[in-house]
Amino acid sequence: MRVVVVGHGMVGSRFVDELVSRREDVVVTVLGAEHHEPYNRVLLSELVAGRVGVASLTLPAPPHGRVTVHRGVACVAVDRRARTVTASDGRVLPYDVLVLATGARARIPELPGLAPLPAGAHALRTVDDAQAIVDDVRTSSRAVVLGAGVLGLEVACGLAGRGVAVTLVHGGPHLMDRQLDADAAQAVEHGLRRLGVAVRVGRRPREVVVAAGRVDGVRLPDGELLAADLLVLSAGTLPATDLAARAGLAVDRGIVVGPDGATSDPAVFAIGDCAQPPEGGTGLIAQGWDQARRLAAMLADPVDRPVVASHPVGTDVVRLKAHGLEVVTMGVGGSAGAPGAARRAVRLSDPATGRHVEVVVAGGVVVGATCVGAGAVAADLTAAYTRRTPVPSDPAQLLLRPVRGAGAEVEPSVTLMPDRATICRCNGVTKGEIAAGWAHGARTVEDVALATRATTGCGGCTDAVCGLLEWLERSTDPDADPDIDPDAEAREPAPRSTGTPARPDQAASRLPMRTLQTSGPSSR
Amino acid sequence: MLPTATHCPYCALQCAMSLTAPDAAAEQVGAPVTVSGRDFPTSRGGLCQKGWTSAQVLRAPDRLTTPLLRGADGELHAATWDDALDLVAARLIALREAHGPGAVAVFGGGGLTNEKAYALGKFARVVLRTPYIDYNGRFCMASAAAGANRAFGIDRGLPFPLADLGGAQAVLLLGSNLAETMPPSSVHLAGARAAGGLVVVDPRHSATAALADGGAGVHLQPVPGTDLVVLLALLHVLWAEALVDESYLAARARGVDEVRRSVTSWWPERAEQVTGVPADALRRTARLLAAASPTHGGTGAYVLTGRGVEQSTQGTATVTAAINLALALGLPGRRGSGYGAVTGQGNGQGGREHGQKSDQLPGYRRIDDPAARAHVARVWGVDPDALPGPGVPAVELLRRCGTPDGPRALLVHGSNLVVSAPSSDHVRARLAALDLLVVCDIVPSETALLADVVLPVTQWAEEDGTTTSLEGRVLRRRRALDPPDGVRSDLEVLNALAARLGVTRGFPTDPAEVFDELARASAGGVADYGGLSHARLDADVDGLFWPCPATGAGEPPHPGTPHLFLDRFPTPDGRARMIAVDHHGPADDLRADAPVYLVTGRVLQHYQSGAQTRRVPALAAAQPEPFVEIHPLLADRIDVEDGALVEVTSARGTAVVVAHVTPRTRPDVVFMPFHWSGQGSANRLTTDATDPISGMPEFKVCAVDVRAAAPPVPPVPPVPTGQVVR
Repeated sequence: MRVVVVGHGMVGSRFVDELVSRREDVVVTVLGAEHHEPYNRVLLSELVAGRVGVASLTLPAPPHGRVTVHRGVACVAVDRRARTVTASDGRVLPYDVLVLATGARARIPELPGLAPLPAGAHALRTVDDAQAIVDDVRTSSRAVVLGAGVLGLEVACGLAGRGVAVTLVHGGPHLMDRQLDADAAQAVEHGLRRLGVAVRVGRRPREVVVAAGRVDGVRLPDGELLAADLLVLSAGTLPATDLAARAGLAVDRGIVVGPDGATSDPAVFAIGDCAQPPEGGTGLIAQGWDQARRLAAMLADPVDRPVVASHPVGTDVVRLKAHGLEVVTMGVGGSAGAPGAARRAVRLSDPATGRHVEVVVAGGVVVGATCVGAGAVAADLTAAYTRRTPVPSDPAQLLLRPVRGAGAEVEPSVTLMPDRATICRCNGVTKGEIAAGWAHGARTVEDVALATRATTGCGGCTDAVCGLLEWLERSTDPDADPDIDPDAEAREPAPRSTGTPARPDQAASRLPMRTLQTSGPSSR
Repeated sequence: MLPTATHCPYCALQCAMSLTAPDAAAEQVGAPVTVSGRDFPTSRGGLCQKGWTSAQVLRAPDRLTTPLLRGADGELHAATWDDALDLVAARLIALREAHGPGAVAVFGGGGLTNEKAYALGKFARVVLRTPYIDYNGRFCMASAAAGANRAFGIDRGLPFPLADLGGAQAVLLLGSNLAETMPPSSVHLAGARAAGGLVVVDPRHSATAALADGGAGVHLQPVPGTDLVVLLALLHVLWAEALVDESYLAARARGVDEVRRSVTSWWPERAEQVTGVPADALRRTARLLAAASPTHGGTGAYVLTGRGVEQSTQGTATVTAAINLALALGLPGRRGSGYGAVTGQGNGQGGREHGQKSDQLPGYRRIDDPAARAHVARVWGVDPDALPGPGVPAVELLRRCGTPDGPRALLVHGSNLVVSAPSSDHVRARLAALDLLVVCDIVPSETALLADVVLPVTQWAEEDGTTTSLEGRVLRRRRALDPPDGVRSDLEVLNALAARLGVTRGFPTDPAEVFDELARASAGGVADYGGLSHARLDADVDGLFWPCPATGAGEPPHPGTPHLFLDRFPTPDGRARMIAVDHHGPADDLRADAPVYLVTGRVLQHYQSGAQTRRVPALAAAQPEPFVEIHPLLADRIDVEDGALVEVTSARGTAVVVAHVTPRTRPDVVFMPFHWSGQGSANRLTTDATDPISGMPEFKVCAVDVRAAAPPVPPVPPVPTGQVVR
């Protein structure tokens, strides 16, 4: 089977890899318009932020006997009747299956001053774009980022981290309005301000001011002029559909495909950002990789594979990569529909600290979440959402991760620790048993070791035993502690005894807790 | 009696101990064998509760002291040794004549001494001539072995002495709960903890993870089955932030570029979505490890893997990624740094070197290597062509038992496999389908109770031998007291069976003599014991590290090899292999009717299937019954209180166990120890899906449902007096 793949980006290269590893009799030719080896486009904002080197972007493209890659060669035409494609270098390639993975291109806003693109103004879609921005950063002091979607926020934070004065300008009603509601956006705005990023939302620029062919600033509708020598355009992307349209394939916003990735021509498939599947394109790499994997599986074994999206949920998690600003969204938002009996939305909104967490639950699983500045909670919610694990009876429990040591597992002190608390894990020796040993004359660590074997495993509890002995010494001083009677504990061996009365002298007797474990309930 | 210097019967740490048997008069009145810790570089005189109480197994009240044969009534009955051995031999001969040598299979154990493991492998190949031999080490070390062999050309769990960990600034523990499974070893983590550099990767806040609390390090708590992604993300960060030891890689590794590219796809934010570990924590951990590595001026770092990451369908891949991480940091082969696998069973290291594995001959030789076959056949005095070829790994061997083309008889030594094998209900069915099951054991274990013939054998302190610890250090275990009357050693059993099967030479019963032959058979192999003998190990109280080849006459003996890889890796070009690997996820992943992960593991008080430790009163009292750890949020949702009975159900079966409600686990994970049989047996639930390279089963992750158990059937009301019940 001859397969021609147009596009050698993240999705195209992954598809080729998946296909040749699954099917022996397939010969693949790849046309990649860029001169570079396939690279990780998702990390371009990290490159702009200076957090990764360009070398660490390169994706695997192991040489393979059945794969021919033409780099720097675009596809200029498709003859569907003849089943051939024509490449920009003039070669004509026959195919049995054609896979379009042409991706998307940056949308350039229609603003005065941007046609032609002046020096200092850049989209961010390719590694060349990223390199150009990095080059300009060296001579720039003030930047405007136009468009406050995920990429815009990442670039704004990245440039701010490089010491550039950044203003983020957004025509929409609030930041990340595709993913966030106004309250969540408010929390994000707080986070941005803390990073030193100025924000202008709800104001679509009137023009880009250009001087001597270079960007000089951006003028807002109210006349405010934001001086800038660097302008990054992050106003979204457009699926690259020109080739498909010229070939007469059905094209809407993207190339229209069915659940199996097939276009209006059953021999032609489209995957990744150029495609418009029935559930809609998300622009997220997880969706593109999922499409690549499923198409490869189907082409390798067309009969047996049921053609369904294997992960109907879970591939739409949006995770901002920005130093110091955490935003994660997934699934439906709470304000997307009226919550009712079938759907519960709970939220914790704390905009002053840049925190906003919302969870939407339906049918006992998380169906959506928004996390701004939520730390590890975001990771927990992502796991719960993508795996559909059962949610707690009270979904509000999902909004916070208990601080370790809060609640029931409070750091025990010698005095408050119950007798059944284990001091020596290795030998299962409890506080009560050591106290009993003490009552029978075990006054040193060595004595205790002989009597109970505490400290004779890893030795990690030695400090704890010392502390316990000290406390026992003090507590039997009648002046210091009239109400303690270690003999009582000795008479009633430890594991099942009910515990020691609380004592006021905790500070002096607090043990180094690293070595202590409180054993569980009495059933253990 | 004088104390006997020996080592603990349980885990691979092999803590040094002294045993003192009572004299004859004291023994008459039931005086115990006493145990005391003995100073040693690894255990430093320490023992855990299992070790301190180990002598009680010697006096187990139900100790087997006579052979048992299953009678026509279906029950086991006492028999003489001659009757039992005659019967076994006759049945084996008949089966072999009817169905060929493949009709008989052998299942060994990682607890057997080197001598017994060696003799068992030789017995299978020379006497039975069957390819079907494997062992329970397949359940614990196979993935680590496969990963290390392909990366380094050798598999010695720790290629450095354990005590070296003490000087490290960072120790990364992946899926190892050593504070619970080999407690005295955690003393060697003190240095890393003091430096804030103990990194524990475990879905549970285990006893080991707790060692990282309070500023001593980091606990990463990934979703089960995603440890590989944690490693790929750490590698990603190292390359993205230029923290890799490039000059080390240039000099000592191969395959670097493929691995560098392969981790490009695992940026921390993506890894967070798969693992549940925050991206920020992944970045900080990578930087912590890099700061500890020699190239950045640190005092050293170690990457260690355990069963948590290895008992997986991507176990070999995960070990490979851990090795890749260690190589990227420039650790292996540098003093004070390295990669290692923390071996589990008492002789888990030696047990995998001398021929119990299906594809292996003594000295860690491959059975499909003509030169290896020729060497070993010469030592054994047989024709190389008469040696069988490779068999199949343990899970596959058990699957074939009792099938039309599979083995019809199984000989089990040192393994309680119906408790320790995955999907144990299925294993029971396979054993029931056999024509003959022969089990050598010390107590009536669950597997022995299913046997047609049970042969009572000596244990640990009743026999001499050697083990090889997790460090590759060969140790002497010594006889401290006489075995009970009626009991024979495994070596005696093999000798007697061999003779009945027509092989009257080559199966000595003296362990020292067996060891000398093992030394010759291993000479020139990867695990070369050629320069070792019982006498030499008796003279060297700290044991010796293999490889320890023989030296020529007049030359000083080889000193052993505590540190491997200092100059080169034992690969054809002397470089370590980096191999790109990717994540696929567990075989039995969550679904609507099984929305919670089950992780299995151990508790401090029990060892393996519990056949020994469940018979020690103090241990049984401390951990009396199987349980499941459930997070409070999950317990609340399914309305289960601490101490209540719950049903845990997988696609294989249902277990009924007591709930321990604890925040130590994740809300989406429950944990069960696997030391028990019966209705609470964890391995009724586990999947027998295996790693495609190592054949290791995926004990550590499967999908389950958890719910409150149906209330127990009310007891039958007492029968009123005077009424007759028929």
